[in-house]
Amino acid sequence: MRDLPIDAAAPPTPHNCKLLLLGVNHTTAPIAVRERLAIPGHRLADATRTLAHQPGIREALILSTCNRVEILTVQDGIDQENAEVRAGLQAPTLSVIKFLHDYLQIRETDLEPHVYEYRERDAIRHLFRVASSLDSMVVGEPQILGQVKQSWTVGREVGAVKTMLDPLLQRAFSVAKKVRTETQIGNTTVSVASVAAELARKIFGSLAGKTVLLVGAGKMSDLTARHLIQQGATTLLVCNRTEARAQVIADALRTPAITTGVIPLDQLMEQAHRADIVITSTGAGQVFTPESARAVLQRRKNRPVFFIDIAVPRDVAPEVNKVDGCFVYDIDDLQQVAMQNKAVRNREAEAAESIVTREVARYSDRISQAPVTESIKELLMGAEEVRHQEMARIIHQLAREPLTPEQLAAVDRLTKSLTGKLLHPQIAALRDMAAERESDD
Amino acid sequence: MTLLWLRLAVILYGVAALAVLPAALYNRPRWRHIALPAAFMGAFFHFVSIAETLYAAHRALPVDTHETLSMLGLLLVVGFLILAARYRTVSFGIFLLPIAVLLAIVPAFHPGHEQIAYPLVRTGWILLHIALLLAAYAAMFLSLIASLLYLIQERRLKEKRAESKRGWLPPLETLDQIGVNSLRFGLPCMTAGLLIGSVLALQSIGPAFFADPKVLLSIAMWIAYILMIYIRSNSGLRGRRAVYLSSFVFLVMVAVWAANSLSAVHRFKTP
Repeated sequence: MRDLPIDAAAPPTPHNCKLLLLGVNHTTAPIAVRERLAIPGHRLADATRTLAHQPGIREALILSTCNRVEILTVQDGIDQENAEVRAGLQAPTLSVIKFLHDYLQIRETDLEPHVYEYRERDAIRHLFRVASSLDSMVVGEPQILGQVKQSWTVGREVGAVKTMLDPLLQRAFSVAKKVRTETQIGNTTVSVASVAAELARKIFGSLAGKTVLLVGAGKMSDLTARHLIQQGATTLLVCNRTEARAQVIADALRTPAITTGVIPLDQLMEQAHRADIVITSTGAGQVFTPESARAVLQRRKNRPVFFIDIAVPRDVAPEVNKVDGCFVYDIDDLQQVAMQNKAVRNREAEAAESIVTREVARYSDRISQAPVTESIKELLMGAEEVRHQEMARIIHQLAREPLTPEQLAAVDRLTKSLTGKLLHPQIAALRDMAAERESDD
Repeated sequence: MTLLWLRLAVILYGVAALAVLPAALYNRPRWRHIALPAAFMGAFFHFVSIAETLYAAHRALPVDTHETLSMLGLLLVVGFLILAARYRTVSFGIFLLPIAVLLAIVPAFHPGHEQIAYPLVRTGWILLHIALLLAAYAAMFLSLIASLLYLIQERRLKEKRAESKRGWLPPLETLDQIGVNSLRFGLPCMTAGLLIGSVLALQSIGPAFFADPKVLLSIAMWIAYILMIYIRSNSGLRGRRAVYLSSFVFLVMVAVWAANSLSAVHRFKTP
C-alpha cells in the first residue's frame, strides 16, 4: 500500500518540479560583473517573459538590484542520473545560464566563478533571507523588499509567476514583515549622515521647515546637509571663509522646494540663531563656545539647536553640550552611535535568522504535504464514488420492497463507516510516506 | 452593575498599563495593539459606570471624593488616548495608566457613601464647574508628565546613547508642544470652572465664600497657572526649569484639592 502510484503525467506538483535559484551578489561578484548582469526596470518584463519561455522552465522571476541579480525558476523535474551535465553544471542550471548568455551576451566562463546556486529548501531559505534584508549589504535596509515585490508584480503581469512561485513569494513577503515587526532589525541607522538625520528627528520631530546652517565646506558636511534636506529640511544657509565657494554650494543644493542663502563669515554669530541645525567642518577650532551658544539660544527664545561638528580639530567646544537646549555631536560621537546601531542590528539579525529558519521549515512541510493531501483526496473521492454506486445498486434491487428512510440512513452510515475504516491504513501509510520523504530530503 | 463596569474598567486599565510597558519601552507593536484597545474599552466601561452611578443616585454630578478621583482617572485615560491618536505615542501611558488604575481602584472596591449638603447637586452648572476643573487638573498633569519626559529625552540625547530608531520617547519638540498645548487647553477650563463656581457660590452662600482658604488657594492656583503659561510662551522655558515650574503649579493644585478638608463651605460631603 505504500507505493500508491502518482500519475506521471499529472499537472506539476511540488514533487515533480524543481525550485532553483541562481544569482550573483555584492559578496560573490565585483561591480564589473554585476553591471553586465543588471537588467534595468524597463527590460525586466521582457527578460522575465523570455526566461519563462526557455525549455524546461515552468515559472520564473528575476530580481535585479544594484547589489544582486538573482533568477528564481521552477523547472520540470529531472532524473538526476540521466541529467545533462556540462562543465559541472546540471540541466536546470544550464538552461538559466544559457538564457543569460543569449539575453545578455555573457559567457558561461565569465559567470561561473561568481554564481551561487540554491535548490529546493535552500532556495526557499535564500529567498526568505533576501526579502527580509538579511542578505543585504546593509543588513535591515528596507528597499530590498520593495524590489522583490516589484519583480513579483512584473512576473505576474507577464505570466511567469504562477501556482508555485506566487504562494512562495507571498510567503516571503509575510516572513519579511514578521522579521520587521518582531525584531528591531530595521530600526537603527548605520551611516554617519543618517545617524545625524535621525538625531535631528529626535530633537525636532519632523524636519519639515527646519533650517540647516553649513559652516565650512567639506565632503562629509555636504553629504550630511543633503541627507537632512532629503529628510525634509527646507532652508539651507552656507557660511564659508570664501563667499564664492559658499555660493557654489548653495547653488548646487538649491531646488524649487529648498531656499538657500549665504552668510558672510564675519556675520556668523549674528545670523546663527536662524538655524535649527548647525553643521560645522571648518577645522578652525572653537567657532562656537558656551557663551556664543548661549547667545544664539537666547535669540532663539531657547528653541533647541543641534550642532553636528564634523571638523577635526573640533569647531564646537564640548562644553556647549552642557548648555540647556544645545546638543553637540562630533564625528566620533556620530561614528560611535553608528557602530552601536550596527551592533544592535547584528544582534537583531540573529533573532531574524531564527524566524526565517522556522518559516522555511513550516513552508517546506506544507509543500511536502501537498501531493499526499491530493492523493488522499483522490482516494476518498474514489471510495465515495464506489459507495454511491453500490448504494444505488442495492436500492434498485430492493425496488419492490423499498427500505424505510430509517433503514436507508442506517445502511448509508454503515457503508460510510466501512469505507472509512478500510481506507484508514492506506491514508496513514501515505502520511508516513510523506514524512519519510521529507526526512530523506 | 455599576461596580461591575467600574471593576471591569480597572482590570482593562491594568491590562493596558502592563501592555504599554513593552509597547513603549521596547517598541513592540503587538503590545501597542493590546494597550490601546484595552485603554479605550476601559474608558468606555468607566464612563458607563459613572453615568449609571449618577443616574441611580438621581444626581447630576460626582459628589463623593472617590467618584471625583475616579472621574479624574477617566480624564487622564482620555488624555492618553488623545495623545496616542494625535502624536502616535504611547509613552505617556507608562505614567498615566497606572495612575488611572490607582484612582479608579478605590471606588471600584471600596465605594464611598458621602452626600453633598445643598441642593446645587442637581444643577447642570455645578457639573460643568467640576468637569472643567477636573479637565484643568488633568491637563496640568499631562503637561507635567510632558516636561518630565522632555527632561529624560534631553538627558538621553546629551549623553549620546544609542537606541532604536523610534525610541520610546517622542521627539523633544513634540513633547514641548504637548506640554504647552495641554496648558493652553487647561487655562480656559480652569478659568471657566472657577468663574462658574464663584457665581454659584455668590448665589448660594454670599461674599463669605471668598474668605474660605480653599477659594483663596484656588485663586492663587489660577494666577500661578497663568504665570506659568506666560513664562513658557515668552521665554521658551524648557527642560529642567519647565519641570520645576510645572511641579510648583502642580503642588499648588494638590494643595487646592487637599484644602477641601480645611474648607467650611466647599466640601464634598456633609460635615
